[in-house]
Amino acid sequence: MCASVKYNIRGPALIPRMKTKHRIYYITLFSIVLLGLIATGMFQFWPHSIESSSDWSVEKRSVRDVPVVRLPADSPLPERGDLSCRMHTCFDVYRCGFNPKNKIKVYIYSLKKYVDDVGVPVSSTISREYNELLTAISDSDYYTDDITRACLFVPSIDVLNQNTLRIKETAQALAQLSRWDRGTNHLLFNMLPGGPPDYNTALDVPRDRALLAGGGFSTWTYRQGYDVSIPVYSPLSTEVDLPEKGPGPRQYFLLSSQTALHPEYREDLEALQAKHGESVLVLDKCTNLSEGGLAVRKRCHKHQVFDYPQVLQEATFCVVLRGARLGQAVLSDVLRAGCVPVIIADSYVLPFSEVLDWKRASVVVPEEKMSDVYSILQSIPQRQIEEMQRQARWFWEAYFQSIKAIALATLQIINDRIYPYAAISYEEWNDPPAVKWGSVSNPLFLPLIPPQSQGFTAIVLTYDRVESLFRVITEVSKVPSLSKLLVVWNNQNKNPPEDSLWPKIRVPLKVVRTAENKLSNRFFPYDEIQTEAVLAIDDDIIMLTSDELQFGYEVWREFPDRLVGYPGRLHLWDHEMNKWKYESEWTNEVSMVLTGAAFYHKYFNYLYTYKMPGDIKNWVDAHMNCEDIAMNFLVANVTGKAVIKVTPRKKFKCPECTAIDGLSLDQTHMVERSECINKFASVFGTMPLKVVEHRADPVLYKDDFPEKLKSFPNIGSL
Amino acid sequence: MPLLLLLPVALAMGGHMQSWRRKSLWLALSASWLLILLGVFPLLRLAVPARPRARASQRWPRWLDAELLQSFSQPGELLEDGPQPPQAPRGGSCNWGACFDASKCRDGGFKVFVYPAAGPISETRRRILASIEGSRYHTVSPAEACLLLLLSSDTPAGQCEPVPAQWDEGRNHLVLNLHPAPCPRTVQLGQAMVAKASPTVDTFRAGFDVALPLLPEAHPLRGGAPGQLQQHSPRPGVALLALAGERGRWHTAGTNSSACPWDGHCEQDHGPKQTPPGALLPSATFCLIPGRSPDAWHFLQALQAGCIPVLLSPHWELPFSEVIDWTKAAIVADERLPLQVLAALQEMPLTRVLALRQQTQFLWDAYFSSVEKVIHTTLEIIQDRIFGASARPSLLWNSPPGALLALPTFSTSPVDFPFYHLQQGSRPVGRFSALIWVEAPGQLPLKLIQVVAGSQHCAQILVLWSCEKPPPPRWPKTAVPLTVIGGHRKVDFAFVVWQSFPERMVGFLTWSHFWDETRGGWGYTAEKANEFSMVLTSAAFYHRYYHTLFTHSLPRALRNLADETPTCADVLMNFLVAAVTKVPPIKVPYGSWHQEARPPLAPGSPGLRQEPQPAAQDCINQMAAAFGHMPLVSSHLRLDPVLYKDPVSVLRKKYRSLEKP
Repeated sequence: MCASVKYNIRGPALIPRMKTKHRIYYITLFSIVLLGLIATGMFQFWPHSIESSSDWSVEKRSVRDVPVVRLPADSPLPERGDLSCRMHTCFDVYRCGFNPKNKIKVYIYSLKKYVDDVGVPVSSTISREYNELLTAISDSDYYTDDITRACLFVPSIDVLNQNTLRIKETAQALAQLSRWDRGTNHLLFNMLPGGPPDYNTALDVPRDRALLAGGGFSTWTYRQGYDVSIPVYSPLSTEVDLPEKGPGPRQYFLLSSQTALHPEYREDLEALQAKHGESVLVLDKCTNLSEGGLAVRKRCHKHQVFDYPQVLQEATFCVVLRGARLGQAVLSDVLRAGCVPVIIADSYVLPFSEVLDWKRASVVVPEEKMSDVYSILQSIPQRQIEEMQRQARWFWEAYFQSIKAIALATLQIINDRIYPYAAISYEEWNDPPAVKWGSVSNPLFLPLIPPQSQGFTAIVLTYDRVESLFRVITEVSKVPSLSKLLVVWNNQNKNPPEDSLWPKIRVPLKVVRTAENKLSNRFFPYDEIQTEAVLAIDDDIIMLTSDELQFGYEVWREFPDRLVGYPGRLHLWDHEMNKWKYESEWTNEVSMVLTGAAFYHKYFNYLYTYKMPGDIKNWVDAHMNCEDIAMNFLVANVTGKAVIKVTPRKKFKCPECTAIDGLSLDQTHMVERSECINKFASVFGTMPLKVVEHRADPVLYKDDFPEKLKSFPNIGSL
Repeated sequence: MPLLLLLPVALAMGGHMQSWRRKSLWLALSASWLLILLGVFPLLRLAVPARPRARASQRWPRWLDAELLQSFSQPGELLEDGPQPPQAPRGGSCNWGACFDASKCRDGGFKVFVYPAAGPISETRRRILASIEGSRYHTVSPAEACLLLLLSSDTPAGQCEPVPAQWDEGRNHLVLNLHPAPCPRTVQLGQAMVAKASPTVDTFRAGFDVALPLLPEAHPLRGGAPGQLQQHSPRPGVALLALAGERGRWHTAGTNSSACPWDGHCEQDHGPKQTPPGALLPSATFCLIPGRSPDAWHFLQALQAGCIPVLLSPHWELPFSEVIDWTKAAIVADERLPLQVLAALQEMPLTRVLALRQQTQFLWDAYFSSVEKVIHTTLEIIQDRIFGASARPSLLWNSPPGALLALPTFSTSPVDFPFYHLQQGSRPVGRFSALIWVEAPGQLPLKLIQVVAGSQHCAQILVLWSCEKPPPPRWPKTAVPLTVIGGHRKVDFAFVVWQSFPERMVGFLTWSHFWDETRGGWGYTAEKANEFSMVLTSAAFYHRYYHTLFTHSLPRALRNLADETPTCADVLMNFLVAAVTKVPPIKVPYGSWHQEARPPLAPGSPGLRQEPQPAAQDCINQMAAAFGHMPLVSSHLRLDPVLYKDPVSVLRKKYRSLEKP
């Protein structure tokens, strides 16, 4: 850039020295060159920006126009699938490498039409579903178009249905893919495996080491932890509009809707119908209807005609019986109808069984026990049935309802195997959204009473009240379990007093200077905090006795996942104003404690600093108020538990600083605090605070017992 | 930018050479064009990969005729796939449906027969047999048993036991190999299930066999050492990683061990501290365990130490993998990507580390800390398979207090238990049932009934009449609560407290236990003290589930002990709840009411100072022995109403009756 400016300045000075004729000549030449350059630049840059702004405009092609590949009869054939394959033996994990996002990269081979020696196609080019599947992958975060960076390869050769392809030639087509390498890291999708008369439970196309996402695996063909069992997609999912029906008792207890049942099974089912009458319905195909698309949507019992799949919504349990294939599309319809599938298919590996907990959504009955089905189902309590109905519907919505859902769940499973430390949890896979919202997973769930010897770290936030600070330090240092004292010096304009001036105490004292005067500095997870228990204490809290503080620590040990504080406060719903109100009067209930002096787990410092929802942290710093309310909200929200108020103390009285105490009583202060509660409740999207009616006192508090024998006699004034 | 730069250079060249201007001009022009062509294209090529949007066209195409594509199956094809007759189970391999006859378990429940030892046996084996025989599953008759258990012998290599009489091709048999058995039994196994330590992934039949942990020889039979975790979060400065070494040793590596090789040479290169002899448990946040089978028993050590196991491509099945969700407690990673694993460990969020650590401790304590727990877990897994739809949900297996303490016979719905309200987003129901046990007739039980019925939360009262005289013909009308003594508020307060702590016992009168140096055993007292560890069940709130647990999970011997001495029942209940919750019970103030209305458990005892009788003093020791450890935990606090005895107007107080002297 610099150079060009320099030359441009010299240029005009050069031109006037030449003759006019030449000057014109030069100018013409100059403009030609300039035009040429502009044209070149346009050509180089312009088309790209057009492409990137409208993604697909250039790729509008027809499936019939794809290149044709002729497969010689003697082209190599892959070996049959290797049943001993596992991720650590057959999968080349080096191709996935280090990836900061913990996402595998998936490449899709471009579409080609394969013909044999004499020009007969190997299969139909691509089915609607497989095209949808590849589109879904291509649109997802997994997709890459760079074959050299890909970790997983998906051939565009459609093997969803084994009946539509020629096995040997398809295998040859697979083997000639550019990165085939014995099928390593290749993923095939198949929903209808096998063919007459044996109906293998896995795709018969030889595929060597390729992973198979198959519908209808049996335990004999399924390579645990390598293959993925997927559902058989039901086209009715999009063809039929079926509004959701809530759980609850339905007209039929047990329903069988499959048409191609082995006579032996049908006899068993009809025997059940004969025995239990109206509550069991066994449907068959309608004989008197004309063939065609309509027959798929009708079922008959004697002369009664039922609409399918609507009839599934009338039943509590629906039989999903093995046909020639183990995987049945009816499973998808049944789940969608919120009917609990009764799976009678020995050795069938249920779809996504690696991650989905099918016990919560289905009943698996061995084929041998088919005659007992009714009594087995009747032993399930009604509440559990409703839970299963809800779960069934949720499974359909999340993992069955579209080809896209099936494809993404498959890739997620493979992704979780490769990046196990970033894997999705059982709850995320299985809990329906309603449960996910309502449940709280306490980060400190292990019932554990930390050893007393560990002690606690006191953190005193101070600005410039040195005298009061020194008194607090002296008082707190008398508490037996104190193990360290940390002073957070929040005043940038003034240096903390010299070392020699500080009170001499028996535990280490550290002063941390902050970069900015912020309230949130009090809740920063300082490296100096070595204990789990933290006592946050203001620099003017001198009225708490050593007994009260020590007792507070003992209480925290029994409730290490809660905020343990002294004065309690309450939030109330103001019916007139229609909003929350802060209450500090004498009440029988408590929902918050002031953090002017409170014990809590140091993990909450980490949460406050790094995981506080919304803008609450900045808001608190800007308003210089309500950091304690924010902490109460945070802890109650992650643990789902209430605070513990200790001892009768009602307020922090401090003789020297009446101004502060006066402020606390101030009406405007109360209004501000109420504003905080409303603000935080809206950011959290809920009111996490829990109201309780108890406080913790020493066992013998105010009991008729000699004071000197009590552990904590000096608990007291308000 | 390069384009603009090139042009003036060309012009400047032309300007200087006036005499050869035409030639040189053309030369310059062509040179500039050449430069453009040569310079710009490589630059452009370089620039393209930096602009991913430009390659969007490489995505899967949107076909013009996508709508016309055929479906993968014909409409009728999904329905008519040629029905097939039932198949006989394939030979060679077994699965649950084919090789286990659950019908034998339907009538009699889950009963287990253990083959008695033939000939001399080792002490460990004898104690294991005794433990199963003392359990609630045991039956003496092989005919009524649903599961026949064969404890694999610890005879030297090559010698196999004779096949027992009721073998029946191994049907409904479980062969239990607690320690790797030298006897090659695979040929004779037939349809028997195998429970063995760390089976290789290739021979393990998922859903049929049971994978056990590899137990050290000296593993305690019952009770077992508690987990080492004393605090929730890792201690600051603790090593990030410990590597499993030879002979059960651990080598800790510093936090900056990114260059540390993974094949065990680390200690030479960086000189990390070896764990001191005797202290065999690792002290680190993560414990790296290679995939070889002999390393499997490092796994239990790591669990006990609260060190998150990082397993590198284990070739063995993780213990109880059928029910335990190991992703919550361990990390199974690929051994071929060590640096990636290390980076992931270093960057793991604190929240995840906390959760994993706590889960290791919970699992250790619930399923692995003693041989008895391992055996019971094995049997419970098989029982759950038999239950099918009524088996425990995954939540009961994978969150405290664990499946051995959450009986599926009580309920399979987590909300019915006191432990899972948080995870389920539910609350305990706002009503309670009162169970009153009357031993001596008189005015007191009647008064008590009235007091209890006066509570707004009371749903029903059950009276257990357990004395010689017939029950009185007239009971107080509880449907219309008669508040004779204004004491119902105490019951209310205690119940409200219990709703906050549904898994604990909430009571009024307390005992505390202590270690009696002079007698060398445990003792307990009803003296007023600064702490307590038990509440008297004569007046206490607790979840009804504990009744089920008391009746169905405790060994018969303990229940007999409780039946003989009433105070022992109190102690036993407290033991049980403490063993489940691992936290102390809760004491609430009792005011004046108890002196009047307490059920006379031990007539003649002076008021509240009811000292346990000498005979009862010993039951605490018997129970501690049966539990294998002392589960009771002491508490220093009492939960009072918020304004309890505060100097404010009584009218402000909700529970004012509690304050009457």
